Amino acid sequence: MAYRLEIDNMTVTLGDAERRFVLKTGAWSVTAGEVIGLTGPSGAGKTLLLELLGLLRAPDDGGYTAVPLDTSAQTASHDFAAAWRAPQAMSLCAAARAQFFGFVPQAGGLLPFLTVTENIELTQHIAKRPDAAWRDTLLGELGLTQIKGLRPAALSIGQRQRVAIARALAHRPFCVIADEPTAALDPENAQTAMRLLIEAAGAGGSATLLSSHDYATLEQFPMRRMRLEITPAEQGKTIVSTLVPLGTQVPKAEEVTA
Amino acid sequence: MLILRLALRDLFFQKVHLVCNIAVLAGVLVPLLVLFGVKNGVYNALIGDLLSNPRNVQIDTSGNTTFSTEDAQTVRGWPEAGFVTLKTRSQFDFVNVRLEGGGQKRDAVLIPSGEGDPNLPDGVAILPGTAVVSAQLAAQLEISSGDLIDVITQAEDRPRQMRLQLKVSAVLPAENVTGRAVLAELEVLDLVEAFYDAYALPEYGITQGKPLADRVPVFEGLRVYAASLEDLAPLQNRIETHFGISTEARTAEVQGVLSLGRNLNLALLLTAAVASLGLAAALVFGFWGEVQRKRHVLASLALMGLGGQRLWLFPLIQALVSAALALLVSFGIFGLAALVAERLFDTGGAAGNLVDITVMQAVSISALVTAFVAFSALMAAWSALKIDPATVLREGAT
Repeated sequence: MAYRLEIDNMTVTLGDAERRFVLKTGAWSVTAGEVIGLTGPSGAGKTLLLELLGLLRAPDDGGYTAVPLDTSAQTASHDFAAAWRAPQAMSLCAAARAQFFGFVPQAGGLLPFLTVTENIELTQHIAKRPDAAWRDTLLGELGLTQIKGLRPAALSIGQRQRVAIARALAHRPFCVIADEPTAALDPENAQTAMRLLIEAAGAGGSATLLSSHDYATLEQFPMRRMRLEITPAEQGKTIVSTLVPLGTQVPKAEEVTA
Repeated sequence: MLILRLALRDLFFQKVHLVCNIAVLAGVLVPLLVLFGVKNGVYNALIGDLLSNPRNVQIDTSGNTTFSTEDAQTVRGWPEAGFVTLKTRSQFDFVNVRLEGGGQKRDAVLIPSGEGDPNLPDGVAILPGTAVVSAQLAAQLEISSGDLIDVITQAEDRPRQMRLQLKVSAVLPAENVTGRAVLAELEVLDLVEAFYDAYALPEYGITQGKPLADRVPVFEGLRVYAASLEDLAPLQNRIETHFGISTEARTAEVQGVLSLGRNLNLALLLTAAVASLGLAAALVFGFWGEVQRKRHVLASLALMGLGGQRLWLFPLIQALVSAALALLVSFGIFGLAALVAERLFDTGGAAGNLVDITVMQAVSISALVTAFVAFSALMAAWSALKIDPATVLREGAT
């Protein structure tokens, strides 16, 4: 089932009366197969934004809905913003994360006591979507077949990041959220990891939201770009960070070819 | 159950931490188990010694008070009382015994007995016309179970002897009754007493004397066995109060052992309480520390959607499995310690005499330890519930 995520002016406020940080998402949407690159200076709230979008933090205001693309199917929309107001918010959001999202943290976030294969299968087990064929495809596509029986401690950082990408995609989530997925990698490995993430997400029909400081790598891939921009207000007591769309980026290599 | 599998995988992956937790638990459990086992073994041996001799729960009335069958019935109705029998006048308890057709006679004491008499071995009953003889008497007269014996009595003022024939239903083990004795129903003793009191007993060939119908049986005393060692003192007190008499029993000796048992229990309880406080502190902070150490693992699981209300099970499962393994190790070491102790302190008894824990006690201890560990893991479980899955995104590496 493919969805469109509709983000409707969510805001979240941190801090106290002395010093406040306000994040504003604006109104936008992302559909299956799309890639969105989120950039912004340090402290602009990129991770906070991903926490909001990944149902890890409740918005103070605004709407957040997953709308099914196939209107003929009898599938209802999922109001994620409302889930936070339910009595069992933590359980509901955990269940929604398991079904709709895959996460690629900066350093993989792999479980040290499981092998590569078991780490990848974990999201399938949690989402109750076992799919050995797709798991093997991911192992092959991401070059993990030779190391599938090893534990994370035996892997390089680049290998761990590829395992994290496979794990995030294994249960065919609607959306993959990647927070600085190439931050710990050298330029060559960073580009490889980014390519594999975008290609595998595309093959699985997932939308991809990735934040990065690595502009050089981001520019190599076609994607929609959005940027968090900071604007001080009220005599510097409040900092407002607003997500601004930058339009669709065509890779530099393709520009040259054109 | 995925959380169970993951918790176990993690537990056995971190073997060093598992061994540490088991060592902490076993370090407290093993000494307590050995103490408890030794207390049990020594105390049970003392209690066993007391119980092996029915004389230790026996109460005999003394003085000149007489008793009726109704008095005996009253005492039988008390819950503290086991076997109760009336006693005839002691000077008439001595008889001569001869194996039927045998040439030898031996004098023996006639003891009233009956169903429930703790002097009788299990499964041996004294029915009308039967008797049980002591080992010494059986050996001297070569009496065996099933033989007929003649019980002969003679009074100075009676022209002839009275001879009763009884069938031997059992020979007592030597330790049950010392000396030469015949255990028979009270009616046999009463008959002997009637003979001495010069009543006519035509059934036994004694035609001269007072008519037996005129006789009102009166008994010289009561012999009562307490239902248990704990019942001895209350029963003795009740008999003395009810009949206004004095009695003889080994109450002081029995109370001494029971008091020792109570004091040993108290000492063990105090030791266990102090040890438990230390163990609780070690476990609570140990399990909590484990959750803090594994917060990235738990946060990763929560990030992938395994959080909700189930994540608290992760440390709880690990704590309970650690407890189960620690119990196995502790009982194993306890078994070895018991073997060594029994070899070092040769008691001459069967194995398990010196250090003893029953299966039921082991099950109860295991249940108690499991509950204790589960309670100690509650803070860790609560702490796991509070883990923010966004930790993985904000803090980075596992």
